[in-house]
Amino acid sequence: MLDVSNLSVRFGDAYALRDASLTVHPGDRIGVVGESGSGKSMLAQALMGMVPESASMSGILKIDGTEMTRATEAQWRALRARRVAMIFQEPLAALNPLRRVGTTVMEPLRTHLGLSRTQARARTLDLFEEVGLPDPEQRLAAYPHELSGGQRQRVLIALALACDPKLLIADEPTTALDAEVAQRITDLLVRLSRDRAMALMIISHDLQVVARATRQLLVMYGGDIVERGETRKILSAPFHPYTRGLLAARPRPQLARPVPGTKRPRLPTIPGHIPALVDLPAGCRFSGRCPAELSRCRTTRSTEFRTGTGLAACHLLNPAERSKS
Amino acid sequence: MRRFPVNLVLGAALAGSVTLVALLSFIWTPYDHAAIAVTNKFASPSFAHWLGTDQLGRDVVSQLMVAARNSMIVAFVSVVLGGGIGIVLGVYASARGGWVENLIMRVSDLSLAFPALLFAIMLAAVFGPSLQNTVIAIAFINIPIFARISRGAANQVWTREFMLAGQAAGMGRMTLTFDHVMPNIAAAIIVQATIEFAVALLAEAALSYLGLGAQPPAPSWGRMLSDAQTLLYLAPQLAIYPGLCIVISVLGFGLLGDSIRDLSDPRLRRER
Amino acid sequence: MSFFLLRRTGGLVLTLLAISIVVFAVMNVLPGDPALTILGIDATDDARAALRVQLGLDDPAPVRYVQWIAGIARGDFGTSYSFGVPVAGLIAERLPLTLSLALSGTLLTLVIALAAGLYSASRHGRTGDWAVMILSQLGIAIPAFWLAILLVLLFAVNLRWFPPGGFPGWSDPLGSLRSLVLPTIALAAVQGAVLARVTRSSALEVMRLDFVRTARATGLSPARVLWRHVLPNALVPVITIVGMQFAGVVTGTIVIENVFYLPGLGRLIFQSIANRDIITVQALVLMVAAVVVLANFAVDVAYALIDPRLKARLA
Repeated sequence: MLDVSNLSVRFGDAYALRDASLTVHPGDRIGVVGESGSGKSMLAQALMGMVPESASMSGILKIDGTEMTRATEAQWRALRARRVAMIFQEPLAALNPLRRVGTTVMEPLRTHLGLSRTQARARTLDLFEEVGLPDPEQRLAAYPHELSGGQRQRVLIALALACDPKLLIADEPTTALDAEVAQRITDLLVRLSRDRAMALMIISHDLQVVARATRQLLVMYGGDIVERGETRKILSAPFHPYTRGLLAARPRPQLARPVPGTKRPRLPTIPGHIPALVDLPAGCRFSGRCPAELSRCRTTRSTEFRTGTGLAACHLLNPAERSKS
Repeated sequence: MRRFPVNLVLGAALAGSVTLVALLSFIWTPYDHAAIAVTNKFASPSFAHWLGTDQLGRDVVSQLMVAARNSMIVAFVSVVLGGGIGIVLGVYASARGGWVENLIMRVSDLSLAFPALLFAIMLAAVFGPSLQNTVIAIAFINIPIFARISRGAANQVWTREFMLAGQAAGMGRMTLTFDHVMPNIAAAIIVQATIEFAVALLAEAALSYLGLGAQPPAPSWGRMLSDAQTLLYLAPQLAIYPGLCIVISVLGFGLLGDSIRDLSDPRLRRER
Repeated sequence: MSFFLLRRTGGLVLTLLAISIVVFAVMNVLPGDPALTILGIDATDDARAALRVQLGLDDPAPVRYVQWIAGIARGDFGTSYSFGVPVAGLIAERLPLTLSLALSGTLLTLVIALAAGLYSASRHGRTGDWAVMILSQLGIAIPAFWLAILLVLLFAVNLRWFPPGGFPGWSDPLGSLRSLVLPTIALAAVQGAVLARVTRSSALEVMRLDFVRTARATGLSPARVLWRHVLPNALVPVITIVGMQFAGVVTGTIVIENVFYLPGLGRLIFQSIANRDIITVQALVLMVAAVVVLANFAVDVAYALIDPRLKARLA
């Protein structure tokens, strides 16, 4: 249902997203991981047609076969909520504080689907039930500040589901929640994706959430997709040096292995800091921080090569390089 | 990121030219502003009378120039007077703290409910309308405004470390106020004074339009407008010039104050 | 909520009392003899003394103050020196006009400010935004009475669409409305210019908030996002300023009534000043100040009604 190739988002000369390609089928569950500034949120915004006005988009972005890269705001509006929907990180901030949550959820039902007040109300009750809000009748009249964090996120999920989207993008859906609630929200997203045959894209820096909820994984760094494949396999056997660093830096370091060809000990953190968009090296974005860097990494970008677990964009995988070393 | 400061330059240019014209009127005007020439009334603009003459044949440009001087004197005196009292109250409130501060601030909040016009009306009812009453009324509304702003600024200074050091060294609160508080709040006060000067010009114009301000024969933009209003069918142009003068001077000082504030401290911007 | 209301009402009563003391003090304690001003310097001392007794001026000031306040509590504002009728009647006669003008002015102010401010915010940094900002900067510098004169010049003297001033009386509803059009515009344009800036900056702040992104992500139209989601949240600071500006609207009404020769409270004040009718001026000044204070009170209560979070905290 979603077909993206060589999609880029630029601010002048600075790429926030560079040549991203991916395909999403109904029912897919995709995780996108990376540090802040990796381009994962920009990917989500691009899929919603909500990149900042000062940015320019290029490449191909097909939603249900319609090419949307140069679509107008009005064309995008017709797709949002109905094809692609999104939920956000901070559920309290993401809800209008002056509106009852019932009104908020009923709004797209009435404006997009043309339901009457009673129909929209009944539908909202169903949605609240579906997302597991207790006492849906009472919740209709509640204001956001009267709900708990988990309940607010459920309201936002209900809002996103209102017009039966084919793809639900969840941008850091659990970051603002405590661990137990986060798990339940994650499980809810998985269940909804299964029940509705709806594709799910979870953007997170929390590998546990991604491991729990998704089957495929995209690892992003500096606007590039550096590695992709099955979530479980990548998490247990990462290839790209950045993915290794990312896994090593998380609280469960036993999953990471030392990068081959280096004498460095295991990395508790990735050395250096994420460069600003304009300072990124032209070739592999990770060069300069990469422990296994080759001379050409800085200037040339690698194409994607097969790893044991999927694909990675790294010169180390190039057979020509291997034969040299 | 810093753009060309259009507002600052425009404000300075407008305010500067109004001030220059007002100063010029002390030494030179094209004619005696009060010289009546009934035979030459309602003259059109010409080389002799740049903006023509009024219903009594007086030269409009000369009147506008003298009126500029009068307005600016009223605005200046009332802002200095009201501002001075307000600053003393505000700084004193901040230095004393406690119930004194509370009382002063409560009273100044209260007097904010009293528009200058009402105060001028009361004074006019008791003493009859006069220029002094205009000054007193405008000065009066400036007291709480300056009391608030200088107290707020002074309170910030009091939290700084050198103030604690000074107190530890046994310096009195009044000494500290003069040595450290005043220099540190001067910038904020000058900015506010520029803005209030514009407000005072506007208030003076309104009061003199209503006949509560300068009395004849002293010319003022407001009264020139109320005279012109009775002659709208005969000489509509007379209702244009004084109004333009008011707009130019208010705009000039308003822009000047706003842009100095934005340049000196963007955080102050949200305080009004 | 009730405790909040109770405390605010208490503060309101205290404020009104304080204002009444100030008004009374300025009008009565300052030197000046109403008997002299009423009768003129030609009157004999006996006549003046008799008048003072008749007006109750021989009592000490505190006694007269208490009598004045007690009278007001009964709805008796005293008897006008110059008209020789109860001040309350004079006020009642002219209040509807002033009230209609102040209300229509406030309403139009809000319409101008919200439309211009929201438009400007939605076109942030573009030509439309600049145009609105320049217009509003100009509007702030234009005295309302001059704008009124210009309106008369254009629409009454040249185009003859509206009367240049005067009021036909409420028995002629259409004529009354027509004669209120120009005063309302003059009153609202200047206040609207100030408020438009507040609306714009408040709306810009709200537009950066997450829930606006949610609304966009829900596929709602920009107009709907602006009016249904941004506007209500941007209103709180706007209402604060409306309350603070109400003093300006009231004094503006007094000025505008004089520009258009409308027989409202503003005209009455100036007639009374000309007649040295101190008791009437005193009552009117107190009333106007009270209206300003009441408006601020209403704003405080309005906050609580708009914002459910505040309502919860006050409960």
